[in-house]
Amino acid sequence: MATFRAEVFQNEFLPDGGTDVHAIVTVSAEGVGGAATTGGGVAEIIMIDTSGSMTGPMLAAAKHAAQVAVDHIPDGTWFAIVSGSHVAQRVFPYPNAPVAIVQMEPAAREEAKRAVSRLGAQGGTAMSTWLRLADQIFATQPAATQRHAILLTDGKNESEPRAQLTSTIQAVTGRFQCDARGVGERWQVDELREIATALLGTVELIADPADIARDFQSLLRTSLSRGVADAQLRVWTPQGGQVLFVRQVAPTVEDLTSRRTAVTPLIGAYPTGAWADESRDYHVAVRVPSKNVGAEQLAARVQVAVADEVVASGLVKAAWSDDASLTARISPEVAHYTGQAELASVIQEGLAAKAAGDEATATVKLGRAVQLAAETGNDEATSKLRRVVEIDDEEHGTVRLKRGASRLDEMALDTASTKTSRVRR
Amino acid sequence: MVGVVTAAPVCPACGEPAADGARFCESCGTPLTSPGATPTDEGAGAGSAAPDGPAAATSPAATAAAGGCRACGGVVAADGYCEQCGARAPAPHDHEEEQPAPHVAGVTDVGVRRRRNEDSMALGVVGDVSVLVVCDGVASAPDSDIASQAAATAARDVLVAGAATVAPGDAAAWSRLLVESGHRADDAARTAVDDAVARTDPPSCTFVAAVVSPQLLVAGWLGDSRVYWLPDAGTPEQLTEDDSVAAELMAGGMSRAAAERSPEAHAITRWLGADAEETTARTVAARPDGPGWVLACSDGLWNYASAPEVVADLLRDAEGRVGADPVALARDLVAWSNASGGHDNVTVALARVAGPPAAGPAPAPDTHVADAGTTPTTRRRPAGSLPGEPDAPAP
Repeated sequence: MATFRAEVFQNEFLPDGGTDVHAIVTVSAEGVGGAATTGGGVAEIIMIDTSGSMTGPMLAAAKHAAQVAVDHIPDGTWFAIVSGSHVAQRVFPYPNAPVAIVQMEPAAREEAKRAVSRLGAQGGTAMSTWLRLADQIFATQPAATQRHAILLTDGKNESEPRAQLTSTIQAVTGRFQCDARGVGERWQVDELREIATALLGTVELIADPADIARDFQSLLRTSLSRGVADAQLRVWTPQGGQVLFVRQVAPTVEDLTSRRTAVTPLIGAYPTGAWADESRDYHVAVRVPSKNVGAEQLAARVQVAVADEVVASGLVKAAWSDDASLTARISPEVAHYTGQAELASVIQEGLAAKAAGDEATATVKLGRAVQLAAETGNDEATSKLRRVVEIDDEEHGTVRLKRGASRLDEMALDTASTKTSRVRR
Repeated sequence: MVGVVTAAPVCPACGEPAADGARFCESCGTPLTSPGATPTDEGAGAGSAAPDGPAAATSPAATAAAGGCRACGGVVAADGYCEQCGARAPAPHDHEEEQPAPHVAGVTDVGVRRRRNEDSMALGVVGDVSVLVVCDGVASAPDSDIASQAAATAARDVLVAGAATVAPGDAAAWSRLLVESGHRADDAARTAVDDAVARTDPPSCTFVAAVVSPQLLVAGWLGDSRVYWLPDAGTPEQLTEDDSVAAELMAGGMSRAAAERSPEAHAITRWLGADAEETTARTVAARPDGPGWVLACSDGLWNYASAPEVVADLLRDAEGRVGADPVALARDLVAWSNASGGHDNVTVALARVAGPPAAGPAPAPDTHVADAGTTPTTRRRPAGSLPGEPDAPAP
């Protein structure tokens, strides 16, 4: 039996006239029990890039990884394999099969591996067609409510306009979750990040094709450990109040603000996808009308809902005080994650400036990133930053851009930018 | 622009005039539109909002009776906050009234600026003996509200039980019993929460108790909660003498006003609880020479009315407005204190004294029997003069 808990960390005291309330809400799930316990069933689709650029060892590694993945999908799980270039094609079940998705069993496993072994590489890259086909395949098995896909590519989405990809991502958002993986150094971090963010997945760089199989295995393990198919984060604000932002801040920074759907005029729901036994932190910021000193009110109820039932609730309060020793304190949790969110954006902005040839901006932004990573104890970010900049003074964020930093190092920094370190308690 | 003049709308909760088109009261934050109104209704513009805008607001008085939110009339959720406006529903102890007999009553209230009522009271009446106990929980120590209630109840029970054996006029015996009630109150405060002894800041509270009969007033106390004797005619008096830094400053010659303004004024030097060192209540006895009121209160009241003459004037004013019912009077004084700022929890308990029996020997006016029957407790005082203490005036 899955149980959820919501814990609120905040300083509820506001000065006279104060309106903005910030809180970190830690949501934890326990006793989830794995995907096998989900009522409707689990579906997995693996999308492999088979554009011309994959030819050679890259395709061989991808095919091997897909076969390893097939070995690790347990019997009874719905699955399909898609190959993608400028068009998408169903590899298994075979294109002429009467059904688009089948349940895993030993014979299907062998046949699927054989189908993968015959894949060849040619053509361009239009990922929107891959996502659309995956969506259509999932849709043929409505009972499988926990839907997860893996997308692997090595290149830029060059065979279609970016807007085409964006509109497709929007069309399939909420229909399945997708982890995106880029192999090598020719793919675009921002393209895969757009897919993964919208589809509640992760984005990672796989520098060495030999590592694809291990990564697929770990993605499947994570996906199959998720026993709650879909949970919503709900935020209630009082009449007259407004949500400033809702952001997942751990394990990664994901802005959910624009993902709101109204449950009632005062309650908005934000998607969080499937859950394993895990905990995630959310930064909720709301604005409420100021009240008299001494007044206390609820600024937000932060709830977790599964299948439209509220399973956990946390209270974010506002209390107006004229005691500066109370109102001046910043919650350490809020401070930590505010820094981590800024870290993610300065890394991305710094790398974008560097790519555009604006070295001055890149130096300032990445310097700030070095400073924030040190302040918030994000050692992974610090070590990745070290490969891109020379650090003269960590505390003050004084850096120089490293001459000859490799594109892979920059991409590794970029893809990892949204990963946060947990607040030390 | 249309030059239509409409009657100024007022907030349904506090009566403050509301700005035209305002959605919330400027003064108290109460929503001025009906809870069901949609933002588009409100966005229709100030002009068109006038006919059915603020006037259509749900009356908080009507909905509060049905268990709704006091601020907006919305539904209060199980978590204690309104589902509509987020206002905190008052906890039961935020405002309590007690009236064990027609001539004895008390009111305790959270005040305006505090979030929890740490004050507690316990009243009792046995024959013509009335018992008033007020304990003010130390706000900086968590769970002091629990300690103060346990202490007040324990002391009241000792005094009520004692009324069966102690003669109403026996000042020495009552003083001993008050000391005993203080010790029992301290036991209760120490054990009110299981781990009190282990805490660095254990729950603690002040203590003041008054035993009132027609021929005798006896009070015992630790801390800065007070008992006043407010005769209908004659000089009002503060019977108790605060165990506080302010009182020490005053004893050193500082004026009441200056002492009570000093930064440490509210630091008490004696209290009840696991970290209290000395818990023998000081006592005082007096014989009333005519009818009047005995008033026991926490500092929530005397913060705004300290000198006995001021308290007496306040009570006389209240009698003029609400009559002689002690619960109405206590309520009026609490409301006055809240209107004066309400910075602290406030508790007011009143017992009416009819005056000594006419046949009795006429007592000398104002016969204090200080610390009668008990060893007087000495106040903790620094050896030298207190910091900030002015030079003692020449006698």
